[in-house]
Amino acid sequence: MIDIRDLHVTFNPGTPLEKAALRGVTLAIPEGQFVTVIGSNGAGKSTLLGALAGDVAADGGRVAIEGTDVTRWPTPRRAGLVARVFQDPMAGSCADLTIEENMALAARRGARRGFGRAVTHARRAVFAERIATLGLGLETRLEDRMGLLSGGQRQAVSLLMATLSGSRILLLDEHTAALDPGTAAFVLDLTRRIVAGNRLTALMVTHSMRQALEVGDRTVMLHEGRVVLDVAGEERARLDVPHLLELFARQRGGTEEISDDRLLIG
Amino acid sequence: MTWIAFFGAVEIGLVYALVALGVYLSFRVLDFPDLTVDGSFPLGAAVAATLIVGGANAWLATLAAVLAGALAGLVTATLNVRFRILHLLASILTMIALFSINLRVMGRPNVAILMQDTVVTPFTALGLPDHLVRPLAMLIVVAVVAALLARFLASEFGLAMRATGANPRMARAQGVDTGFHIHAGMALSNGLVGLAGALFAQTNGFADATMGLGTIVVGLAAVIVGETVLPGRGLALALVGCVVGSVLYRLAVQLALSADSVGLQASDLNLVTAVLVAVALILPRLRQKRRVAVR
Repeated sequence: MIDIRDLHVTFNPGTPLEKAALRGVTLAIPEGQFVTVIGSNGAGKSTLLGALAGDVAADGGRVAIEGTDVTRWPTPRRAGLVARVFQDPMAGSCADLTIEENMALAARRGARRGFGRAVTHARRAVFAERIATLGLGLETRLEDRMGLLSGGQRQAVSLLMATLSGSRILLLDEHTAALDPGTAAFVLDLTRRIVAGNRLTALMVTHSMRQALEVGDRTVMLHEGRVVLDVAGEERARLDVPHLLELFARQRGGTEEISDDRLLIG
Repeated sequence: MTWIAFFGAVEIGLVYALVALGVYLSFRVLDFPDLTVDGSFPLGAAVAATLIVGGANAWLATLAAVLAGALAGLVTATLNVRFRILHLLASILTMIALFSINLRVMGRPNVAILMQDTVVTPFTALGLPDHLVRPLAMLIVVAVVAALLARFLASEFGLAMRATGANPRMARAQGVDTGFHIHAGMALSNGLVGLAGALFAQTNGFADATMGLGTIVVGLAAVIVGETVLPGRGLALALVGCVVGSVLYRLAVQLALSADSVGLQASDLNLVTAVLVAVALILPRLRQKRRVAVR
């Protein structure tokens, strides 16, 4: 499904700010697998997702999706294959457009956009039916502006939008990090339901060790642009959070104390 | 203000309503502050007037003016999208270049349309007096254009254009080629302004190299007045607001100029416009501040 080979990404090459964000990542993800991605700040997690979505240009290696080499495809061209939910609830939808307009936009992801009405009666009925599955009562508010919704509601709608056009791959970039704990739990549960219900292949970047082990069926740890841990199945089932933290600390230089509170709290 | 002056102001207001719709498209929909219009308005006038005086059909001349305006918009969009020049600067470059181009098009600083048929001519068959025919003809054109624009912005293509302006990152993630939509929107915006220029030349009987000065401010004034008079989120409402705003703005200017006690003359128009727009931009902020203070 997703085949990443020896992927290299360098930001600001040839300048004093040069930073090698990915230094040879190789990752093969079969169809239907739900992979969680962890690592410290600057490990390359978001860059990896960006390289899959097309926002970040690779300067070495290749990215193939469903057997097609997409390494040189710009973001809009890949959008038919890949859906995305951002960390910032404001980033994944248009605040000034209505809920149904946002959904109409997502429903045509990867398709030609013509001069027919974007929101028809038939489509509105479909949208109402789909958004009712969220259980947030939004089906009566389709004509409200997206900006009126709370962060959690917007993330929930963004997740739903990801499923409207039939993309097979879902990229989640810390999409619960900006939410309060209760809302985050709701969105995470919704994520599980949507990934399972649509049999999506998913990558979820997270800062929470517990989430990384509890959600999905494979965990990848990145460090300084490389994959340093890749566990699935029984090996993963045996791992617990303290164990993972220990592995994490070892990668960061052994003696270094973990300074990021969020890792422990999660 | 006499009735003739009143209808004259309504007529000019309706012509500039097309500018307002174009400015709404660039400033509000695409979030692209575009000064190209100061050049594409006289460009439309120059192209239409030159062709009509040369014996061309008025409708074809108007179409050519629209295409010329659209081309100017495409140049600005290309400078911005392809060559990464700041949008404001890109539009100023096109605007300055157009000043020379307009002189080339006309071959002299101004062209007068005296006896030739214009797009207004067929409407004179209605038998109405001249000062009513022209505003009526403009009203029909503006109503058709505004309705088409509203329908366009509600289409899948138009929705993608609105997303391009509102949240480009999200738009790209939804498969929208934002660069392409900026090109299309800028072409449409300046095509409308070119149309306004062509109609201005035909209703007023001339095109002049300097007639574009301050077009952007007048267009922006109309958009802002419209948003103040008809607040709300609906798209169709916003477009109607542009038209109403443009006419109201012209009437206000006409009133200010025709009141002898104020002591203003026609050449003060740009000053009056700048002051009006500045006040319109400052007022909402002051009101907001007061509301916060009351709390």
